[in-house]
Amino acid sequence: MAALLEMRGIVRLFGDVRANDGIDLFVHSGEILGLLGENGSGKSTLMKLLYGMLPPDAGDIRFDGAQLKGHTPFDAISAGIAMIHQHFMLIEAMTVTENILLGWPGAGQILRQKHMAAHIRDMSQRFGLDLDPDAKISSLSLGRRQRVEILKAILRDAKLLILDEPTSNLAPSEVRELLDIMRRLKSEGKGIVFISHKLPEVLDVCDRVVVLRAGKLAGAAAVADVSRNDLAEMMVGRTVPMPQVEAGDQARGPQQLSVRGLKAAGLEAITFDVRAGEILGLAGVDGNGQLELAESLAGLRSIADGSVLICGQDATTTSVAERVRLGLAYLPADRSHTALVKSMTVLDNLMLRDTMRPPYGSAALLTPAAGRAEAKVLMAEYDVRAPGPESVVGRLSGGNQQKVVIARELARKPQVVVAHQATWGLDPGATRFVLDQMIALRREGAAILYISSELEEILSISDRIAVMAGGSFAGIVPNRNVDLRQIGLWMSGRAA
Amino acid sequence: MSDASNSLSPPAPLARLRLSLGRLGLGGNILIALLLSIASAALLIALAGKNPLDGFLAILAGAFGDTHQIGVALNRTTPYLLSGIGVAICFRAGIINLGAEGQIALGGAGAAAAALLVQTAPPIVAIVVTLAGGAIAGAAWSGVATILHLGRRVHEVLATLLLNFVALLLVQQLLAGPLGQFGAGFLQSPLMPRTAWLPKLAGLDAHIGIGIAVVAALAASFLIWRTPFGFALRVAGSSRLATTYAGFSLQKLTWGAMLLAGALAGLAGGVEVIGIHRRLIEGFSLGFGFKAVTVALLGALEPMAIVPAALFIGFLETGSLAMQRQIGVPSALVTVIEGLTMVYVLVAMAGRRT
Repeated sequence: MAALLEMRGIVRLFGDVRANDGIDLFVHSGEILGLLGENGSGKSTLMKLLYGMLPPDAGDIRFDGAQLKGHTPFDAISAGIAMIHQHFMLIEAMTVTENILLGWPGAGQILRQKHMAAHIRDMSQRFGLDLDPDAKISSLSLGRRQRVEILKAILRDAKLLILDEPTSNLAPSEVRELLDIMRRLKSEGKGIVFISHKLPEVLDVCDRVVVLRAGKLAGAAAVADVSRNDLAEMMVGRTVPMPQVEAGDQARGPQQLSVRGLKAAGLEAITFDVRAGEILGLAGVDGNGQLELAESLAGLRSIADGSVLICGQDATTTSVAERVRLGLAYLPADRSHTALVKSMTVLDNLMLRDTMRPPYGSAALLTPAAGRAEAKVLMAEYDVRAPGPESVVGRLSGGNQQKVVIARELARKPQVVVAHQATWGLDPGATRFVLDQMIALRREGAAILYISSELEEILSISDRIAVMAGGSFAGIVPNRNVDLRQIGLWMSGRAA
Repeated sequence: MSDASNSLSPPAPLARLRLSLGRLGLGGNILIALLLSIASAALLIALAGKNPLDGFLAILAGAFGDTHQIGVALNRTTPYLLSGIGVAICFRAGIINLGAEGQIALGGAGAAAAALLVQTAPPIVAIVVTLAGGAIAGAAWSGVATILHLGRRVHEVLATLLLNFVALLLVQQLLAGPLGQFGAGFLQSPLMPRTAWLPKLAGLDAHIGIGIAVVAALAASFLIWRTPFGFALRVAGSSRLATTYAGFSLQKLTWGAMLLAGALAGLAGGVEVIGIHRRLIEGFSLGFGFKAVTVALLGALEPMAIVPAALFIGFLETGSLAMQRQIGVPSALVTVIEGLTMVYVLVAMAGRRT
């Protein structure tokens, strides 16, 4: 049987960089292909070429028996290719039906909402999507929104679905349901490309895997023939073990971060302490109040009730700058708009929160020469791979961008660190770097609140583990012989 | 991935300029824009039935022909440069301040009032007080827009733009009342006291305003690149979220940028009053504030680059007006050429933004 999608000898250059270097990839109907690779290995580029967002420099793409050349995303959609992006393209104020009708020529010139709603209900049942056509998008969980995107693709007669990191925002139960839906789609004869960092899911649902490394094909295999370690090694060219912190292996100091009955929009009465030399891992499905908590602690959100003590000082109502002076470092989850100014240089970003402190400057003046020297030192120390302090941050890879953030926040020798999704979008090597930095800080006696939806990371570096659900702490336990089922229950407790 | 392209960092000032130009997507494109505008001007002169070459020669002679013409051109440049710097400071911070027009007009009124109040003061004191009066009046007017913007969340474009009309009418009203010269038959103030007249540059027919403006450009460049306040402005212009995260107050930054811009525009108005007309005249600054926006964008919001941009517009206008007198093309042509230049520059900027 001819493959549904055939990509042969695909080459794409960005300047001197060969983002895709002679890649072959094929997908059959009724098959799930796992596409693996580190950040910057060329996965997204390959999919952009397929979807017509970029033209390839060489190579041949055949889809469903016809050649795709010089095509646009519109052509790709009409041919039957659907891309489910990590960030959904839905209008929150509208209903499921309205979102599905939106921009769909097949819906006809006169919109028949009732008729369509019935159709949606049928299809949603057939694929096990369980969607209410009249529900407003804003009332749906992230998992449900993803299903709306999938249903959109099905109704538009997509033959190939590309799912880009579809599980990163989902609760464990939702992930299981998504994998079921994927199997259902497969049995209906759809081809699926599943892009993910998460090896267990890939091994669970895929038929075959293709691994990219540095723009080249690093390996391809049937899932039945490979182990998790094989895949990890193919991805990075070496094995990257997770670090392991022995909970309570070092004496803990005084309470450096104390939160008492903290209430804010989206948060309900949260109380906890983090001691010097301790990592409190905060697990939970994203969107359960983690961002609200992190921003309340950092001073970016107003606190309705309760108190926050940083290094023994009341910081409940103090400004962001004052909290930094008290010793608080904050690594925000939103790297591209909050933690970094992408259009500015590495030096600018390193001094973003320290312009009025030496060596970057004083209250009245900047001292660029001293700042540049400091930036060079930090770039070497934190292994920021960029040509120099004057390089624009937006041009660096995600891992190097995060290193800039880490260098800035940690160079200040903080007493308290709030890290939110610090490894988001990073490959195993860069993830390991971040975790090692957290452990080093712990050794130096900092109090760290490590917020992540990656349970594996939490288990690996925390002294204690807390779980957040529905805007409050569902539970908090020492990281010793942890009952994972209990953690899972807490996580799904109030997750929609 | 593509960092390989900027291998070694060039010397700091150059890197800075390249950075600021590059960020706006300008660089080489601005030259193309200027060449295109010259070509369009040639076409328009030809359409008006005149020889474009004669036209351009007349422009050159009119702009650079003798010290008098050069002086006139420098005087014309001064208000564009001063208020253009203020506009650039605001735009850098992501505040679209289109209120220079009104701030200049009220700055003129403030300066005239101040000058008339200190009739007996010695020359230097009189000039300083007069210009301070202009700057304060301009800043007060931009302050009104800032209050509307920050306090009532009126969009800054609306607040600044609409207050221009109020300002122009307010100046008219002042000239019809307390600031007016009785029986002049025209809306104007009495002559300014001689002590407040702006001295001329040695050997030129230009007043020292151009010197003040260049110093202001140097100071603004220093402010933007070498102070934490300037750094905060640049961050604010790139990302509001990062600004708050960095610990800067958006409110304070907005106040700072708006008051500075208002003061610079007001200063421009004051310089115009005591440097050129020696009195406040109705409509003395018509269109200056909008040209300041042109100049600021032409100079890629970099104060040191706004100096040549303002000189370009100042000399172009002076030369074009001479051309109009000499070969008799319609005066509207000059405005059309300027407008086209602006459009080309905007296209050059927008084309590269992806």
